[in-house]
Amino acid sequence: MKVFSLRAIRCIVVLAAIFLSAATAAAQTATSRIVSSANRFLATLDAQKRQGVLYSFDDEKQRATWSNLPTSFVPRGGMSLKDMNPAQRAAAMDLVSAALSPRGFEKVQQIMEGDEVLKLNDNNQPGPGNSGNRPPAGPPPGAPHDRNGENRPPFGGPPNGGTIFGKDLYYISILGKPSEKDPWLLQFGGHHLALNITIAGERGVLTPTLTGAQPALFTSNGKTVRPLGRESDKALALLNALDENQKKQAILSYKLADLVLGPGQDGKTIQPEGLKASAMNEKQRAMLLDVISEWAGIIHESAASARMAELKADINDTWLAWSGPTTADSGKNITAYYRIQGPHLVIEYAPQTLGGDPSLHVHTMYRDPTNDYGRTLVTK
Amino acid sequence: MNTKLIIAVAIFLSVGTSLLAHRLDEYLQATIISVEKDRIQVSMRLIPGVAVASTVLAGIDINRDGVISEDEQLAYATRVLHDLSITVDGKSVKPTLISQKFPAIGEIKGGLGEIQTEFTMDLVAGGPQRRIVIENHHENAISVYLVNCLVPADPNIRVVAQNRNETQSYYELDYTQSVGGPDGASRKGWPTLGGLTGRVGFASIFRLGMRHIAEGTDHLLFLLALLLPAPLMAIGAHWAGFAEVRSSLLRILGIVTAFSIGHSLTLALAAWGLIRVPSRPIEVLIAFSILISAIHAFRPIFPGREARIAAFFGLIHGLAFAETLEKLGLGRWERVGGILAFNLGIETMQLIVVFTILPSLILLSRTRAYPFLRIGGAALAGSASLGWIGERLFDLHNSVDAVVAVVAHHAVWIAGVLFSISLLCWLLRKMFDHRSLLFKCDLKTTLDPAGRELSILSEP
Repeated sequence: MKVFSLRAIRCIVVLAAIFLSAATAAAQTATSRIVSSANRFLATLDAQKRQGVLYSFDDEKQRATWSNLPTSFVPRGGMSLKDMNPAQRAAAMDLVSAALSPRGFEKVQQIMEGDEVLKLNDNNQPGPGNSGNRPPAGPPPGAPHDRNGENRPPFGGPPNGGTIFGKDLYYISILGKPSEKDPWLLQFGGHHLALNITIAGERGVLTPTLTGAQPALFTSNGKTVRPLGRESDKALALLNALDENQKKQAILSYKLADLVLGPGQDGKTIQPEGLKASAMNEKQRAMLLDVISEWAGIIHESAASARMAELKADINDTWLAWSGPTTADSGKNITAYYRIQGPHLVIEYAPQTLGGDPSLHVHTMYRDPTNDYGRTLVTK
Repeated sequence: MNTKLIIAVAIFLSVGTSLLAHRLDEYLQATIISVEKDRIQVSMRLIPGVAVASTVLAGIDINRDGVISEDEQLAYATRVLHDLSITVDGKSVKPTLISQKFPAIGEIKGGLGEIQTEFTMDLVAGGPQRRIVIENHHENAISVYLVNCLVPADPNIRVVAQNRNETQSYYELDYTQSVGGPDGASRKGWPTLGGLTGRVGFASIFRLGMRHIAEGTDHLLFLLALLLPAPLMAIGAHWAGFAEVRSSLLRILGIVTAFSIGHSLTLALAAWGLIRVPSRPIEVLIAFSILISAIHAFRPIFPGREARIAAFFGLIHGLAFAETLEKLGLGRWERVGGILAFNLGIETMQLIVVFTILPSLILLSRTRAYPFLRIGGAALAGSASLGWIGERLFDLHNSVDAVVAVVAHHAVWIAGVLFSISLLCWLLRKMFDHRSLLFKCDLKTTLDPAGRELSILSEP
């Protein structure tokens, strides 16, 4: 008996040790996986192209070169998928995928597909925009005035094969040297997308990151796709779970036409408003965390779980503010703005009137004003 | 992976609607306010949408030469400032332009240009509570506005409230600027008196406490309903006679003190973070406490134990007070002063209300008109509490809040009218009743079952 139980104990200890080391190994692989993916990608480039992708880690200008706007309006640094050969492109997407969780990567792909839909739709547009007399891409050419002052906005219809939208117009850049020890920054973005992923040892920081979608609802392979659908649905479910008193606090009395802390607004902490989560019950707080996870969970799992733990610790100091309609058509996105703000968090969800239906065009922002670009990890 | 994905249908496509990537027919004006000690810094980003760019540009490029000259930049930024009306504590203030930055004219035409302007206002030293109002009249017809303030970097400054109209063209910022001591000097270490009164300011928290009671009609309603029968004596299951003035006063004092002790205790515990209770059950219990005291005013259900009931429900009301205090986000040691100031404010306002209503209660309770007030008041408080319970427990919408707000808004008038009526009734009784030496002859001195001396109004 005694021998048996001793053996059993030894067995358990050994199993636990294996498990633990396996878990540690798995945790370690996140960064090393990203680093080797990055090195594989860089190896596909010749020296000149590699120089075009690499920036110094402290290049503040490149760091802040991101936007919700199409790449022709705000040129991004780095190299676009369009300028890559298939092997390079695959390696680049492999790198992005390594840095993200599966659902984060899926979201990114859907945003890019959405831009492809936008391109196709745009090319199908009848009207003067397609007359083919406009140069492809290029800086804002003051279009409407070139077009007899008609009420149509510019950039609406680029010439055939126009390069304003499309899923290949996404740019990748690396600030610093991919390393398992020293901090470096991976940027990937284009129209409606700006991922800024700081890798510092085992830590990974996704802030600031912008996601957006237009169309925010489209059909692909017979399936309805909403790249930012869960952001909309989960937030609406949370709002509906509030009682009248809580709603009164959460719903702002004024309209918000856009993101308050969009591109270019780094490092600002605005006064929080709305309903504080300390006035929510456990279930509502869990729902709030679930909404947050739509952004916090874009990055790879081990970084995401560390981030979620931080945000969970802050939850009682986290605020929810809502502005606009409190209902949505079934299967469609909300048309309301909302903001979630905590000591280490700002999330904004801002539907855009551009295009006519705000449920089909949304910009979102995900920030940590105390740690954008992983600044706290970087200070030596 | 998804390389073979075929995008089949774009369902949002509608003929003639182009797909865009940026602002269209709105002029976005985004303002960020930064509050410093005796100083306000404001930065504005102005982004004309592509469809309104020509309108906006016409006002910038005055000579229409296709170039925005330095003079035109300065003139436009000055005009933007001129179109803002800014007041600080009700007094008009003229901002000083610090800088302006213009994009290329092509960018503006394309709906992508962002004009930036910064300005500042030096404030004359004022009280601890300040209010800044910014009304933006610039290009109202085509503009959308965003106005926000940054969390103040100065720990002595605390934002209390932001109010806006629907479009945000009107923005109101209430904040407190501590008057105690040099910046943050008393923030560390053991609390000093300066530490207790620093940052947000003792006086402003005191006033907040007063305002909380004055505006927190449910707290007052509970107390008033409990005071309604206080000048009376319960005989069996009825309110039958009135007690002596002295014992009425003592009883009222007892009730108010017990209520204070109760809510002070939980306010302190909750504000200190030792207990945390979700707000919804508290709100319901508060409504319930009003119902209980309303029933008691109608028919005695706990005669002689009013003080204990007041203390018990005081515990619950205190938890609600703590939430207001929590919103100030005071530090650990500031809370000592904060709780004290807030509580003193509550007590003061409570006493003001009690002493305003007390003479009416005493006078009227000596007349036959009193049952009207007592039962009427109990019915009002009872129905209000039922309305609140319905709303807070079952989300049943009703107009209780609105009605109570109207009543509370005219509270001073109502109290005045009540006093006049009370005085009138009392005088009438004195004049018409020959046995009008109310406090001497009209009373039979009896003993209650406990052996205490009572004065009971003899029924005519």
